[in-house]
Amino acid sequence: MMNASPKEKSFNMLFILPALLLFLVFNLYPLLRTIQLSFFQWNGIDKDMLFVGFAQYKHIIFNNPAYWKSMLNAAYITVLCLTLQNGLALLLAILVNRQIKGENIYRVIFFLPPVLSGIVVGLIWKFMYDGNFGILNSWLASIGFEQFKDFAWLSEIKTALSSVAVVHMWKGFGYGFIILLAGLQTIPNELYEAAEVDGADKWQQFRHITVPSMIPVFTMVTVLTVLGAMQIFDLIYSMTQGGPAGHTDVPITMIYKYMNNGEFGYSTAMAVIFGLVLLIASICQLYASKKFNK
Amino acid sequence: MNSFKAKKKILDIITHLILIAVAITCVFPVFWMLSSSLKTNEEIFKSITLFPEAWQWSNYTEALLKAKFGMYFLNSLIYTIVGVSAIVIVTSMAAYAFARLEFWGKTILFYLLISTLLIPIPGAFVPLYLLLKSLHLLDTRTGLLLCYVSGGIAFGLFLLKAFFEELPREIEEAALIDGCSRFGIYWRIALPLAKPAVATLVIIQCLTIWNEFLLALVVLQDPSKMPIQRGLMVFQGTHMTDYPLLMAGLTIATVPIVIIYLLMQKHIVKGIAAGAVKG
Amino acid sequence: MSKRSFIVALQTFCLFLAIFMVSGCSNTGSNDEDTVKIWHWMTDRQEAFEKLAKDYFDQTGVKVVFETYAPTDVYKNKITAAASGHLLPDIYNPQSDKKELASYINAGYIADLTDEMNTGWKDVFFEKSLIANSFEENNEWGVKPGIYGVPLDVSSLMIYYNKDLFVQAGLDPENPPKTWPEFIEAGKKLRDAGIQPFVSGFGEAWLIGAFASSYQWSLFGKQGIIDTIDGKIPYNDPRWLEIFKLFEEMRNNKMFASGIVTMVNKDAERTFATGRAAMTFNGSWGVNVYKTMNPNLNYGIMYPPSLPDAKYPLLVFGGDGSSMFVNAESPRKDKAIAFLKWFTQKEQQAYLAKETLNIPSNKDSAEELPEILQEFSNSITRTFENLPKLEAWQVTNYINLNLQSVIIGEKDPARAVREVQEEKIRQMKVQK
Repeated sequence: MMNASPKEKSFNMLFILPALLLFLVFNLYPLLRTIQLSFFQWNGIDKDMLFVGFAQYKHIIFNNPAYWKSMLNAAYITVLCLTLQNGLALLLAILVNRQIKGENIYRVIFFLPPVLSGIVVGLIWKFMYDGNFGILNSWLASIGFEQFKDFAWLSEIKTALSSVAVVHMWKGFGYGFIILLAGLQTIPNELYEAAEVDGADKWQQFRHITVPSMIPVFTMVTVLTVLGAMQIFDLIYSMTQGGPAGHTDVPITMIYKYMNNGEFGYSTAMAVIFGLVLLIASICQLYASKKFNK
Repeated sequence: MNSFKAKKKILDIITHLILIAVAITCVFPVFWMLSSSLKTNEEIFKSITLFPEAWQWSNYTEALLKAKFGMYFLNSLIYTIVGVSAIVIVTSMAAYAFARLEFWGKTILFYLLISTLLIPIPGAFVPLYLLLKSLHLLDTRTGLLLCYVSGGIAFGLFLLKAFFEELPREIEEAALIDGCSRFGIYWRIALPLAKPAVATLVIIQCLTIWNEFLLALVVLQDPSKMPIQRGLMVFQGTHMTDYPLLMAGLTIATVPIVIIYLLMQKHIVKGIAAGAVKG
Repeated sequence: MSKRSFIVALQTFCLFLAIFMVSGCSNTGSNDEDTVKIWHWMTDRQEAFEKLAKDYFDQTGVKVVFETYAPTDVYKNKITAAASGHLLPDIYNPQSDKKELASYINAGYIADLTDEMNTGWKDVFFEKSLIANSFEENNEWGVKPGIYGVPLDVSSLMIYYNKDLFVQAGLDPENPPKTWPEFIEAGKKLRDAGIQPFVSGFGEAWLIGAFASSYQWSLFGKQGIIDTIDGKIPYNDPRWLEIFKLFEEMRNNKMFASGIVTMVNKDAERTFATGRAAMTFNGSWGVNVYKTMNPNLNYGIMYPPSLPDAKYPLLVFGGDGSSMFVNAESPRKDKAIAFLKWFTQKEQQAYLAKETLNIPSNKDSAEELPEILQEFSNSITRTFENLPKLEAWQVTNYINLNLQSVIIGEKDPARAVREVQEEKIRQMKVQK
């Protein structure tokens, strides 16, 4: 399939043409407009926008520590997701792929959290975390941890961010689970059968067949996890609004707050900076996985 | 042989214990949603009970009537079916090309296309809105759908390309020698082989479109074109949320998506590769 | 599903897609040119609004449509987009602070109603209800002085207290605390009786800010507040320190309900309605909310407790509850104004008040209100006065965040005011 002729190369372009056209009109154009807006002081309504150059960028970088704090908060959640959430997703995908009884039921159930709307998830977890009458505290009390009576998990500096991260991981592991499962299922059975004939045990099969075939899928799940966790918004907005005192603020809640308070231009500058950070993170990830692949 | 069987049994039991533990946490919120949807408003506020005192089935009829679900439901169905089909076709074609074919600027174009995953802009709806206005697509289903489809490209491309790359090349090469066209190989061989990945994409995109409402509300003016999430708004007042009706409404809105998942997840099963060789 | 049926299904989708794309284009909205369109966010009042719209149609033949978009931030996003596309409805509310409202007016999206109001219309309203909708001479934003919005109702924020819980803690239910020391004392007694003394939606920045503002008015007075905005009085002034210390004192005496700093008002309302806290700082809309959540709740209202050393009267947050603005670009501007005039007359307002338990903006219809709402409507005269300028949003936000920090014990008041002042200096630099 190598060394296509120029004519073939042009023909091949047709495959990506629809995606490219849609992208140019509906993604790239708004993106460029957004970048353009980030150089103006504008509240979204005024007829004239005030050109301020890089002033807003400068202010964000040097004079807005709360924004960088929010970036760290998101990074903390991301690290938790990469390890705990993906570990759980992979474990479950492998277990379900073992062709045990009730495989289908588990498959359906594990995807319930992603299916549920953010409203329900936010409501129920808030209700479980509640200091006074939450299920978590009464359960902890019943196994002997009386000191947690009245403990408001979402309002204490020490626990707020982790508590929010737990909910995000709980809601998100189902995605990783089905993508990993789809990946496991795409590995042709013949490979395993051949390995079995050659006398490889389960662990060797896992190491020499499953892992190498799954590397692109792992990369993808990792990248998606990072993007999903860094861009966390709904759950935080419905559970803590970024509180207590900004300890659960993440970049998107910050951008959203600025935008809703008439700082349209400034908030787009925040978004562009955030996009650049994500871009660098993703490139590093892809680069790392390429190296690993070789 | 017996010890092997016993070992397998123990392993199975441990597997089930882990799976059941996780499953319980997943089922609980659903149970809570259902139980709340059958309570009275007062009951919700007064006490925390697992089961309603009296089962208020009338909440469901009331929710259906109040939220005008009928009309919105049909709209959402259309948006989801059309939007997701378009995403699957557009992105699978492109993903196949990126995974298998050669053309100019391949690497740059790929990173450009998936770059939209990266810049999340809560305010992006304003440029999008103005764009649709200048295209005379404001307040049209087409306009909204185009936004949805373009919004799904990056993710779909990213997901499918990884899967296409992993498919064994031998089958395709054989078909090429048999005289299949490039498009034929994509359509008849690669796409069916990637069924688990396509099914995954369908599930995830259905979820995205079905639950989306901000863009729909901003882009559409005519209430008769609005999606189902619009109906749920009725229950969330500025100062009061009607929880039982909201939960009933959410349950109604969740059922279709669960059905789609049930239908699609069946396709994430083993043996596709073997099937393709025979078929 | 076999390979073949999978492909067939895909092809059917394609066909569907093609047909739909074509049919979708020809489907343009058929809007009645004579219908007055209103976008609002008050889902709970939709039924009452529709009933009045029907009455209006019967009387005049003019059709009025109310469309709800909620919650408020979604509504706001819709308004922002519609404004930039010049597709705003005939009547709406930009859901913004005064600075942003000024932008709407200056950009020509909101009609000047001064002339209409001066023909006797404005006399039906509570005076305070017009403040947020009018601009004074020489205002900071260069808006032509006048009245721009029509208030539908008025509201104010007071402290509700649960009489039954007061009795349980040995407090006099007919004699709630009036001064700050009495308030703290009552809090101690409640806590000793195992009752959470105070709850409010302090997770919502504006609500914690509203509580603090009452004391700002009481310690600084109008000129003092203006001087603070101008930067002549710093935020580490002893009076600001005193305000922050009030929150610290409440914290030290365990007056706050568990989780108060991340609580939205809806949750705070539930906590109070179910008797899990004895006092709450909330708006007059709470009367309707508590009635729905717990009709048997036995409560009274009181002003935020006054400070013994305060130089100025303690005012409360309030004024117009929800207002409506007329789209200046609308071809149906006159019809929209005529409808709003009718809508704010005594009879219609009384109907709305009765159905939705809000305090009508028409003072003549406020006479037949239930007792508690009557008390609230009396407090309208004690709401904040009009200010010619606003503190930068970032500074206000910083104050609210630092108040939260004090409540959770992260910062002491001295450090909190110092940091607020640092932010103020940063913002003043930006403004230049």
